[in-house]
Amino acid sequence: MIPIEYWLIFSSLLFCIGAYGVLTRKNAIVVLMCIEIMLNSANINLVMFSSYHSVLHGVVDPSGQVFTLFSIAIAAAEVAVGLAILLSVYRRYQTIEVDKINILRW
Amino acid sequence: MLEYAWMIPVFPFVAFLLISLLPKRTLSWEDGAGYAIGGAAGALVLSVLVIGDVLAGNTMVGDGPKFNWLVIANIEVTFGIWVDQLTAVMLLVVAVVGTLVVIYSGGYMHEEGAGRRRYYAEIMLFISVMYGLVISDNYLQMFIFWELVGLCSYLLIGFWYEKPSAASAAKRAFIVTRVGDIMFMAGIIILFKYVGALDFAHLFGEEGVAAVPNDMMILATALIFGGAIGKSAQFPLHEWLPDAMEGPTTVSALIHAATMVKAGVYLTARSYPLLVQAPETLLFVAAIGGVTALIAATVALVATDIKRVLAYSTISQLGYMTLALGAGGYLVVYADTAGGYSAALFHLMNHAFFKALLFLCAGSVIHAVGTNDMRLMGGLGKKMRITSLTMLVGAIAIAGVPPFSGFWSKDEVLAAVYSAGEFDSLFFLLWAMGIATAFMTAFYMFRMWFMTFAGEPRSDYHAHESPKLMTVPLMILAVLAMSSGFALFVGDGFGYFAGESVAELFGGHHHESAADILAHIFGDPLTYVSLILATMGILLAYKIYYLPGFDRSVFARGVAGKLQRALENRWYISQFYDDFAVKVVYALSLVADAFDRYVIDGMVNGFAFLGARSGGLLRRAQSGNVQRYAVIIVVGLCLLLIFMLYVAPGGRW
Repeated sequence: MIPIEYWLIFSSLLFCIGAYGVLTRKNAIVVLMCIEIMLNSANINLVMFSSYHSVLHGVVDPSGQVFTLFSIAIAAAEVAVGLAILLSVYRRYQTIEVDKINILRW
Repeated sequence: MLEYAWMIPVFPFVAFLLISLLPKRTLSWEDGAGYAIGGAAGALVLSVLVIGDVLAGNTMVGDGPKFNWLVIANIEVTFGIWVDQLTAVMLLVVAVVGTLVVIYSGGYMHEEGAGRRRYYAEIMLFISVMYGLVISDNYLQMFIFWELVGLCSYLLIGFWYEKPSAASAAKRAFIVTRVGDIMFMAGIIILFKYVGALDFAHLFGEEGVAAVPNDMMILATALIFGGAIGKSAQFPLHEWLPDAMEGPTTVSALIHAATMVKAGVYLTARSYPLLVQAPETLLFVAAIGGVTALIAATVALVATDIKRVLAYSTISQLGYMTLALGAGGYLVVYADTAGGYSAALFHLMNHAFFKALLFLCAGSVIHAVGTNDMRLMGGLGKKMRITSLTMLVGAIAIAGVPPFSGFWSKDEVLAAVYSAGEFDSLFFLLWAMGIATAFMTAFYMFRMWFMTFAGEPRSDYHAHESPKLMTVPLMILAVLAMSSGFALFVGDGFGYFAGESVAELFGGHHHESAADILAHIFGDPLTYVSLILATMGILLAYKIYYLPGFDRSVFARGVAGKLQRALENRWYISQFYDDFAVKVVYALSLVADAFDRYVIDGMVNGFAFLGARSGGLLRRAQSGNVQRYAVIIVVGLCLLLIFMLYVAPGGRW
């Protein structure tokens, strides 16, 4: 079995890559994709802890993995809403660069 | 009768309530004059009964009926009545002059129409509170009535309030006397601090007097005398009284000649047991009195308004009384005689009669001629025989010609001041000022009489004698002005009677027979000095203002002209106050304005500016850039993590 540290390092790397993308990329679609990466790093953690829990205690408990499925479903819905918003933003401003869209300001 | 003395103020007060509250049609004659005369007469009768009781030797000093006014912790302030010889003198003055003035008003105020109701209501309120002031048995009660007479004075000076000069004179009288009132109150507070009581019985008792340290006693008595300076129009607060002549002449006669302005003298006399503990204050009292007498008399020399002549004369005579009280204190302390004290009270009583007479005569003249300016009068003697004769009686009385009342009291005052010179030579100077004042008094009084009644009319008017309602009080007062001086010889004599009220303060109170007093007065060469000066004053006025051919323009040239202009401008004192008030108040307002503008407004505006400015800076955080928000969230989260993991692990600070 792969040691737990590897998983944790992997998921934190994934999270940091995602966060880096969210903070630095200008294209809103890329930002959305990066948010997906961050979300998935959390999903990896959930699945990993769920399987370790089953192995270490000798029980079959799939609830962590079920929650991950929920999370993926909700993330899909969220991306759908996000893309719809981006679409109407693009129609209004002819751009989807996040640093250009700053009308909600002082 | 003494225990009923508290009812004296009730009569005029009931009249005041009736006049001010009853429906107008029930007031009937002269809009309430009937009620006013009734109230004043009721008080007069009761006062006379009380005075009779005092004359019989009964007094009520500290053992009269009392009631609790207020209780603070273990200190009780009671209200009660205090009737002694001093009270009796004041009661007599207020009762007689008050009643006569109210009767006279029936004729004098006839043309006032609707204003009469207000007039009678206010004058009854005044008489009521004046009685209240006189019979008070403690300083607080006295102070309350003191303020109330001031209020009535204000209301009545401003009787013709539509006239700007009357309205401002009323304000001036109120504000200037208030300066004195504040001092009076400060004096009371000092006494209360040391003695813990305000009633005369405690304050004047041995324990009360001993409780106050000497320097504080000087301060407290000087402050209480400050109240008298304001109320009795003493220098330097005397300028309100001539302005107060804007009110009806009856008001001038009652309030500003006979009663209220005597309240200051009364207060000083009442505080004698304290004053004799502080000879420094006595000297101050005497000096103020002497200076006031002289300054006011000089201004009266050139005044052309008949009422102002009388007003300055009133100030001058009040100065006499104050001077006598100051000198009298020295006599009580060092010579064991109440000579000065009783002289002051004697002059107070005589002055009330002859000055009320003079004012009411002036009122009669003004009523007939319609002006106050003596330069426009003249020749009235033939048309107004009763007025001119009664006024002549008043003028002779105040000038000090025997056997009229002014002679006796003025002589007593000057004799007391002269004999006090033995203990402090300043009194010789004050005596000289007094004697100069006596000369000037005789001069300006006859100047006034000649200008008004003698010669030919100097303007076009149709004068006629006033109605009986006015002339009868004049005649009664004329009889009093002629005869009240003989009180010196009736019974034990006025001197003995008045001295009784301060009898505990000195040892050698002794009887003098009428013959002794007469021999004393006429055996003293100083009597003849004042007599000769008074005669010279009258003759000088006769020469300048009656005999034809005297060129009065010599007074307008050179040094005399300068002096005359200084006198016409009232020694520039009034002007000084106006300039001073304008400059100082303006400077103060500038400071206040700057404070308001820069400090108060500055603070308010400063906070507003601070809020706006910091808001302006902080709002830049809301850049609208989503990624910047995300950075802040991430950095904040990291800092929080670092804090929780490394700085305060396990949640411990």
